[in-house]
Amino acid sequence: MKRFTVGVLLVFLLCFGFVALGNTQEAKIKAGFIYVGPIGDFGWSYAHDQARRIVDDTYPWLETVYVEAVPEGEVEGVIDRLINQEGVDVVVTTSFGFMDGTLSAAQRYPDKIFFHCSGFKRAPNMATYMADFHQVYYLNGVIAGALTKSNKLGYVGAFPIPELKRHINAFALGARRVNPNAEVLVRWLQTSWYDPAGAKEAAESLIAEGADVLAFTEDSPTVVQVAAEHGLPSFGHYSPMYKFAPDFVASGQLVHWEAIYLDFFAKVYAGLYTPKNLENVDYWWLLREGAVELGADFGMPINPVFEEQLRSTIVNDPVYGETSVYDLVFTLLKAMADPEYAFSPFTGPIRDRKGNLRVSEGVRLTMDELITMEWAAEGITGAWPGEPEK
Amino acid sequence: MRLRLQVTRRLEPSASMVFFVSALSLLLAFLVSGLLFVFLGISPLEAYRVFWQGAFGSLYALSETVKRMIPLAIIGAGLAVSFQASVWNIGAEGQMLIGAIVGTWVALFSPLPPSLLLPVMFVLGFLGGALWGTFAAWCRNRLAINEIITTLMLNYVAANLVLYLILGPWKGKTVRGFAYTDPFPQEAWLTTIGTTRVPLATFLFAFLTALFCYFLLAKTTFGFELRVVGRGEKAAHLAGIPAKRVVALVLFLSGGLAGIAGVGEVSGIHHMLRHPAHISLGYGFTAIIVAWIARANPLGVLASAFLFGALMSGQDALKVAFGIPFQVMYILNGLVLFFLIASEQLLYYRVTLRVAPWGEKEDEYDRVLD
Repeated sequence: MKRFTVGVLLVFLLCFGFVALGNTQEAKIKAGFIYVGPIGDFGWSYAHDQARRIVDDTYPWLETVYVEAVPEGEVEGVIDRLINQEGVDVVVTTSFGFMDGTLSAAQRYPDKIFFHCSGFKRAPNMATYMADFHQVYYLNGVIAGALTKSNKLGYVGAFPIPELKRHINAFALGARRVNPNAEVLVRWLQTSWYDPAGAKEAAESLIAEGADVLAFTEDSPTVVQVAAEHGLPSFGHYSPMYKFAPDFVASGQLVHWEAIYLDFFAKVYAGLYTPKNLENVDYWWLLREGAVELGADFGMPINPVFEEQLRSTIVNDPVYGETSVYDLVFTLLKAMADPEYAFSPFTGPIRDRKGNLRVSEGVRLTMDELITMEWAAEGITGAWPGEPEK
Repeated sequence: MRLRLQVTRRLEPSASMVFFVSALSLLLAFLVSGLLFVFLGISPLEAYRVFWQGAFGSLYALSETVKRMIPLAIIGAGLAVSFQASVWNIGAEGQMLIGAIVGTWVALFSPLPPSLLLPVMFVLGFLGGALWGTFAAWCRNRLAINEIITTLMLNYVAANLVLYLILGPWKGKTVRGFAYTDPFPQEAWLTTIGTTRVPLATFLFAFLTALFCYFLLAKTTFGFELRVVGRGEKAAHLAGIPAKRVVALVLFLSGGLAGIAGVGEVSGIHHMLRHPAHISLGYGFTAIIVAWIARANPLGVLASAFLFGALMSGQDALKVAFGIPFQVMYILNGLVLFFLIASEQLLYYRVTLRVAPWGEKEDEYDRVLD
């Protein structure tokens, strides 16, 4: 009897084993990633490619290929080639400018899955995703507000779009939480997401105007390097920029696109996501989901070089009372990463710089309001294209 | 007795000679590219196969090649005419962008009925590019400023004008603050051939343009005049040919054709105005090479435009298949250009190796290398 049981068990196990083996061989997924920039930019496309490598290494059933530096108008042709030439099942397009091309391809290939970053158009086989930094910029602002001596913070922005306006606003709100006199001076490049020459010029001019802490949105470590040449602290953007100026990168914004990719591909593999049910799948992932991180480097929220100064800067916080800025950063970080989302940087009352009440007392902005933000917060100086009067 | 490498000037290389030498230099470029692939750890044979498949291997591949060929052919034909007149229009990229701007204005902001949108876009797009080119002609004729400088510099003016418009007054209401215009209404989209992304109208127009420019050059008085101007402006002037007018007309025509190519790109491919580097993939600059390789023959331009379309399309296939760095494509293009330009020497000079007796006098018309 015992022998019989063991025998049955063995047969069962064998069957299971074969089934499992058969499954992994049949259900291999191939994904193609399309980047707008070169993967060597240390910014946007670099971060996406790092995440691609992680999912590729993590899931044995996933195979990935990528194409870099794809002009926006060419995305459909590249999708065609990925599907017909390379046989991919899932196409990931990582630029806002790819939106219409991706949607059109999604309609032509109804049985393939499309995953588009930073857009707002979806289809039954096309989902969207974004990892947003506004919470991290708020914390960067808190640190910057404590570090500045001139009360002038400099910000180099690539394009005046809602995403950057939201981030600069969060940065200014954070800074003024600990330093009500802090101002944010803004320079727009309006050339390209990757423009080291323009970023250098903008950073130099901000420093010339008295800014002594710099933050930015551009896909190269240029601003960090210029700040370091002048002995000024700065905040890294997108990828760990600690290594470019170990004594001067105070903190920064880090992305974990892999958090989103791991979740998405697991659900595709498990059959939860199909080419028929993605119409409402929109990832808007923040600190809570681990899609973004505060830090000069992974695992380094605040550069130890600045720890002493931040610990000894004591502020009287409206919510947490007397506290050091160092502790305040971690208290706020915990509150924002909380599963209940205990704190939002855009909690009222908030007025814009023209005096309009933008967020009423006790209200926090919704995701829709966040992603369409055009106003400029108090304390921001400089041009602000598209600024609403009312 | 010595071995002598003798280099003799050829007066007019024959058509077959041009074809043979160009093909040979392309072949050499591909052989050297093979070394590059070996260096990247890719089998060269596999790379050639992917390239060939990606440029010609299927109806789809051909359509992608033709899609790139269209703007190159339209601009290239105009440049061929201007090069025949020794008018060095380096500004097709900018003239193309002006065409795109004018076309966008018509598509988005003009009060025209929908059915008139496309024809007016092309007519005004032609005029826009033409006037942009004529400005350089005016600078040359009136102010004696070299047109190479003005046309080149006007490229940057045009590109920045596009940037100004998409970031400022023309920024779309539906694009979440990004730097694009709103999409064109469907009536301003060119119909594509079947399931491809090749716009039918500009495809046909490319052939018509080539024929038109060919007949203009070969069969009309104006064509004769402009070729005389090309050989010597002063001589043409002495012969009673209004050289300045010829220069202006040539820049008007080549600028206008570039403008048409620009309208073709925004109405056929993008359906909006966007960053200049994404509207044109350097077509205005590549078309200079296209016209040059065709020896400024508008019919030959069709062939060389097809060749460069294939080059772009095949390289896309390489990028997708091997995930190689995009900079490698610049090296491949560089190799092709290097060999083509180097082969120029072989076209105009006959190189022979012969045994020369001691004491032979050197022919004063030959360059003799020991």
